[in-house]
Amino acid sequence: MTPVIHFYHVTKRFDQYSTALHDVTFHIEKGEFVFLTGASGAGKSTLLKLILRQMQPSDGQVVVNGRNLKSMKRSQLPFFRREIGMVFQDFKLIERMTVFENLSFILTVLGIPPREHKKRAYGALRAVSLHHKLNAYPLQLSGGEQQRIAIARALINEPLVIVADEPTGNLDPDLTQEIVQIFAEANLRGSTVLIATHDRELIEQSGRRVITLDHGRITDEKVATPPRAPRVESIFGIGG
Amino acid sequence: MHRDDALPKTTFPYFFREAARRMWVSKRTSFVAVAMIAISLFIVGAFLLVAENLGRAVAQAGGKSRVNIYLTTDATQQQIASVDGWLAAHHDFAARRFISKEIALTRFRTYFANLSDVVGQLDENPFPASFECEIAPAVAQSPAFAQQAKELRAIAGIDEVQFDWEWVEKLKKLINLVNLAGIIAGGVLAIAAAFTIANVIRLTMLLYREEIDIMRLVGATERMIRGPFLIEGILQGFIGAAVAIALLFAAFLAGRNFLAPRYSLLWSFLFNGFLPWRKLLALLAGGTLAGFLGSWLSVRESGEERV
Repeated sequence: MTPVIHFYHVTKRFDQYSTALHDVTFHIEKGEFVFLTGASGAGKSTLLKLILRQMQPSDGQVVVNGRNLKSMKRSQLPFFRREIGMVFQDFKLIERMTVFENLSFILTVLGIPPREHKKRAYGALRAVSLHHKLNAYPLQLSGGEQQRIAIARALINEPLVIVADEPTGNLDPDLTQEIVQIFAEANLRGSTVLIATHDRELIEQSGRRVITLDHGRITDEKVATPPRAPRVESIFGIGG
Repeated sequence: MHRDDALPKTTFPYFFREAARRMWVSKRTSFVAVAMIAISLFIVGAFLLVAENLGRAVAQAGGKSRVNIYLTTDATQQQIASVDGWLAAHHDFAARRFISKEIALTRFRTYFANLSDVVGQLDENPFPASFECEIAPAVAQSPAFAQQAKELRAIAGIDEVQFDWEWVEKLKKLINLVNLAGIIAGGVLAIAAAFTIANVIRLTMLLYREEIDIMRLVGATERMIRGPFLIEGILQGFIGAAVAIALLFAAFLAGRNFLAPRYSLLWSFLFNGFLPWRKLLALLAGGTLAGFLGSWLSVRESGEERV
């Protein structure tokens, strides 16, 4: 198997008193679906920022899609980021743009001809059941709806890697199930998925690999053992 | 160069759409930038227009060199005949025309209609009679001609001998001065306008800082992020220049219609014609360039993502 995300002895220090990650080493194989968990301040968001190269590690190496992010040229950064579908905790939707324009902007960045934008945006929104909100502005939507728009934006280009920071944090249990199903389907289509979440129930029932962070260190790395429960079966299609 | 570094064709319409939208959203600041460019180029254009029309006057006079021989007011008929005889005897001065005191007065009343009443209040006609001689330009510059002119000045009954090309030369110097003043004033104002545009774009970039961060995170290149800001500056410069030209043309028409007939000769020189299309294009290009430089300064200073 080929590692798509590889952290090798990564340390991230902000100053001499504040270290977000201590000597973190792990890798995620192509096609894997992995959960990253830990309490607030454990270093989850820092780790995701390192994957997107929003920041650089103080020590160690981060390799994503075969690119060593430390040595990657600045000019290559946008093209690297286009390979990653990132779902941000605060959604990062452009408020002055409608839902369609938010998606259309990504397609413009990707060089997709404008005549295809409507079709592709509609398809991405249909996947998150918000195709009727094409002309709404983000602030006219609930937190959960904004979250789903952000997911649609991340998935619109069928990225190699999907990274999501608390994607179900604003959702009720039914929607959580629906969203994780969307990620699972993207995973089945070949995307590698890494989800940072607090949702212990979701993780425990997933049957997926779970990396646990505590105070910037990996304290546990295991495959969750799902109890036989209807919710899990419906989400991941596992169990009897 | 990265394989995907070239901007897709579809991004250029996006640049223009975004730039126009941002200008509309920030109407007041955009107005200031456009007004600064318009004022600067209006002043430059005004200097150019004056110089252009003075140049036209020079060009009209350039093909011929005229000598005006003014007679003393008490010149006798015999002295006038003597001068006429001397002119007839000298080949270079032979193409002559006698301008009587009455003709001189009529000309003045035509050229300076508003001063006609003043002259009318005088007891007698103050204008001297004169001879006008058309001289070939090449001859006018020769040492032999200078010698003849010296002889002419010594003839009894002649008060003054004036050469047209002397004021043409003075006018040429004045045109150079006006052009220089225009370039200096215009240059200073254009730089000020470019800095105004730079500040406007800087403000816009601050306004869109969060959006720019999002664009970077989803994979937009710096070119794609900066493009609309550059286009915004260019559009502001272009619109400012177009406004300046429109205002200048309106001022020119107003001047020609309201000032020229009333003050006759002087104003008719200055409102003889509008700027030629090459200079109008240069003004447009200057405004556009100032806009581009201003926005380029801003986006350059704004830097890239710090990672």
